[in-house]
Amino acid sequence: MINTSNNITEEHLIEEARNGSKTALAQLVKNYEQTVFNFAFKVCRNKDRAEHAMQETFLSMIKSLNQFSGKSKLSTWLYTIVSNHCLMLARSQKKYDYTSIENDDGLIEDKNVIDWKYSPEKISENDELKTILDEAIKKLPPDYRIVFVLRDIEGLSTQETSEIVNLSVPAVKSRLHRARAYLRNELNNTLGK
Amino acid sequence: MKKKEVSCKEVMHHICDSLGEDLNSPKCTNIKEHLDNCPSCQKYFNSVDSTIQFYKKYNVQLDDKGHQRLLSVLGLDTDGKE
Repeated sequence: MINTSNNITEEHLIEEARNGSKTALAQLVKNYEQTVFNFAFKVCRNKDRAEHAMQETFLSMIKSLNQFSGKSKLSTWLYTIVSNHCLMLARSQKKYDYTSIENDDGLIEDKNVIDWKYSPEKISENDELKTILDEAIKKLPPDYRIVFVLRDIEGLSTQETSEIVNLSVPAVKSRLHRARAYLRNELNNTLGK
Repeated sequence: MKKKEVSCKEVMHHICDSLGEDLNSPKCTNIKEHLDNCPSCQKYFNSVDSTIQFYKKYNVQLDDKGHQRLLSVLGLDTDGKE
């Protein structure tokens, strides 16, 4: 989750940036570039596309900074922008064969509940595992991916997530439930002992 | 069922919140009893948790070249000059 512990400084930076300070703008970018890049990668699953989404996000931020009301956190605003850019990128790509998970049937089955051969701690040292994770989440439609990443990975609340993706709280819960169950099944098929 | 520092009550609250139920409702009580005694459901819960942890721990770093390209695209690569 984006660190917003230094809100006074951030407000000051925003004000300075609005008044034309490139130094303040560069500092705001520096404060959030890693989080925006990482978020974009977790949705796009490709470093080049993530970098493109990050660049577009900060271009949008600079263009619209005067319209930022400050009612929401800057981080929430940036998550909204980067989510939209990730969705636009996904739509502009050659159509990918996403799995439809509109229907709950078969997402949760009480068969095949088995232990896995890897633990999450192994991820940093295992490229094969990274490929498995990439392939699993690539099948998930991007709008479900975004809900999963915002809520479960970035740790935003259901309410914050619903505001970012412009969905009701029950719709966010439903998408999250389906995304979790789908990914869990995909990994279970590959990682099950 | 106990996992890490999360208490059963928290887990139940989360489950029952999703269901729109009170914690002491018959449905919640039944779920708790089932979870306490069902290894299959405990494994399922653990595997969903592991799924989240896998993706949470899989991070990428923006390297210095990526940072410089970003500043260049934004017209901010002036070493702090206004």
